[in-house]
Amino acid sequence: MTTTQTRNNSGQLSASFRDPSGFLFTRSGVLYRQINRAYEPEYARLMNSGLYEKLVKAGLLIPHAEVDEAAAEPDAVLKIIQPERVSFISYPYEWSFGQLKSAALATLSIQKRALKADMSLKDASAYNIQFVRGKAALIDTLSFELYNEGQPWVAYRQFCQHFLAPLALMALKDVRLSQLLRVYIDGVPLDLASELLPAKTRLNFGLLTHIHLHASAQKRYAGEDLKTRGGKLGVNRQAMLGLIESLESTITKLDWTPHGTQWGNYYEITNYSESAFEHKKQLVSEWTRRLQPGMVWDLGANTGVFSRLASETAAYVVSFDIDPAAVEQNYRQVKNEKTENLLPLLLDLTNPSPALGWAHRERESFGARGPADLVLALALIHHLAIANNVPLPQVANFLAEAGKWLVIEFVPKSDSQVQKLLASRSDIFPTYTRRGFEDAFQTRFNIHESVDIHQTERVLYLMEIR
Amino acid sequence: MHFRPMAYLDPGSGSFLIQIAIAALLGLAVALRASWGKIKGWFGIKPKPEEDDDDDSDEK
Repeated sequence: MTTTQTRNNSGQLSASFRDPSGFLFTRSGVLYRQINRAYEPEYARLMNSGLYEKLVKAGLLIPHAEVDEAAAEPDAVLKIIQPERVSFISYPYEWSFGQLKSAALATLSIQKRALKADMSLKDASAYNIQFVRGKAALIDTLSFELYNEGQPWVAYRQFCQHFLAPLALMALKDVRLSQLLRVYIDGVPLDLASELLPAKTRLNFGLLTHIHLHASAQKRYAGEDLKTRGGKLGVNRQAMLGLIESLESTITKLDWTPHGTQWGNYYEITNYSESAFEHKKQLVSEWTRRLQPGMVWDLGANTGVFSRLASETAAYVVSFDIDPAAVEQNYRQVKNEKTENLLPLLLDLTNPSPALGWAHRERESFGARGPADLVLALALIHHLAIANNVPLPQVANFLAEAGKWLVIEFVPKSDSQVQKLLASRSDIFPTYTRRGFEDAFQTRFNIHESVDIHQTERVLYLMEIR
Repeated sequence: MHFRPMAYLDPGSGSFLIQIAIAALLGLAVALRASWGKIKGWFGIKPKPEEDDDDDSDEK
C-alpha cells in the first residue's frame, strides 16, 4: 500500500488486480479503494449489520472513510473509500512464528464474528493481514461475502495453506520453514506440508484432519465433479462453527520457543561493558530526538533494544533481524508492552525480500518499501563487510538507498567480535580500517558526527546522504 | 520446482469434500457439547460463561 508500488495507467495498484469487487488506487500520493457496484449487497451488509464497527473497535479490521473522490473506473463504481494508511507493509515470510500465529487467530476471529452477521470471509490470505498499531488486522475491506447457511467455507483451503501448514511446520519441524512462503505465494501446498511434518503429527486431531487427510483428499478427489458428488452436501452453521473452532484450537496449541543460547542472552554475549552500552544508547537516543524521523529502519536490530529507544521519538520503527529467535522475542515484547509503532521483521540483508508474484508486482521488494528517514546500522558493518565479503563502498551504496540519514557503528578489526569472524577466514580486507570506512562512506554521505564509544574501540557516526 | 502432470486437476474438489466431512464431525461435537451443558444444567451445574468474542479474547 505504499506509493511506490507498481501501478497501471489509471493508478491501480497491482496487488489487488484479482478482485472484481474493487481495487486500490493512488492519487496524489493518497491511497483509495474503489468499490464496484457488483459488491453493493456485501458492502451494505458489512456496514449496516454492525460488523464493520465491531471489527474496527476490536482492531481486527482497518478503518476507512467514504470519500467524495472521482472514481478510477467510473463505469463500475459504487463508492470510493479511503482506508487508513498502513505504516509499513510486511509479508508472512518476514514474520516470526508469533506474528504468523497472531495473524491466523485474527483471521479466525474475524470469520467467527462475520458468521454472526451472516457474512463469511471469501479469502483467508495471509497477505490480507498487516500489523496495524501493533496488532494483526485485516486490510482488505472487500474480503467479505454474504453467508448462506449450508455453504462450506470457500477460504478453508487457503487458510490451511497460508496459516496452518506453515505454523505447524515452524513449530513441529523447523522454524526456518516459514521461508517456504517466499516460494509458494498461495501458501504451502498441503501435500508438501504433510510430507515434511513428523509422523507423530498424525496423532494430533487438528493436524491429522486439516493437513494430512486434507492433502490425501486433494489428491484422491482432484478434478472430481462436485455436482454429482457433493451437490447436495453442505456445512450447516453449527458444523461451520465447529470447523473454525477446531482450526482455532489447533493453532492456539502450536507454539515455538527456542532454547539455550539462541534465546535470551543476546546482549550478554556482546563484548560491551555496561557503560559503553549506556553511552551508545545515549547517542542513539540523542540523535533520533534531534532528527525526529517519520520512519526508522533498524537493520540488524537483534531483539530491538535500540529500536525501542528510537520509537520514543520516531513515528514508526521497523526492526529487522536475520535471527527468527530475536524477531520472536522482539515481537513478544511489542505484544506485552502494547507498543504501537514498532514492527519486528525477519530479514537477511545479504538476500533481502525480492519483488514477487505475478509480473513481480504483487509483493514489493525490501528496497521498494523505502527509503526510510533514518537507518540504524549498529554492530552490523563487520557482518556485511567481513563475514559476507561485501566491499565497503557497496555497503555504503546499499545504505544510501535505504535511508536519508544513517547512524552507523564502525567496529574495527581489533575488536574481539571481529576477531571471532576473522578466526575462520583469511584476512583479505586490507581497507577495513577506520580510514577506509570513512573514505568509502564519504562518497555517499556527509559525516555530521563521529564519537568514540566509551571503553571500546568502536565509533558511532551520524551521517546524512549527499 | 515440479510441475504436476495433472495441472488441470484442481485440488479444490478434495478440499471441499474433506471440509464437509470434518465439519460434519465437528458440528456433531458442538451439538453434543451444547446438550451436555443442558444435561449438567438439570443437575444444577451452571455452564461456564460463554466466551465473549467482542473483546480482545483472540489476542491471548
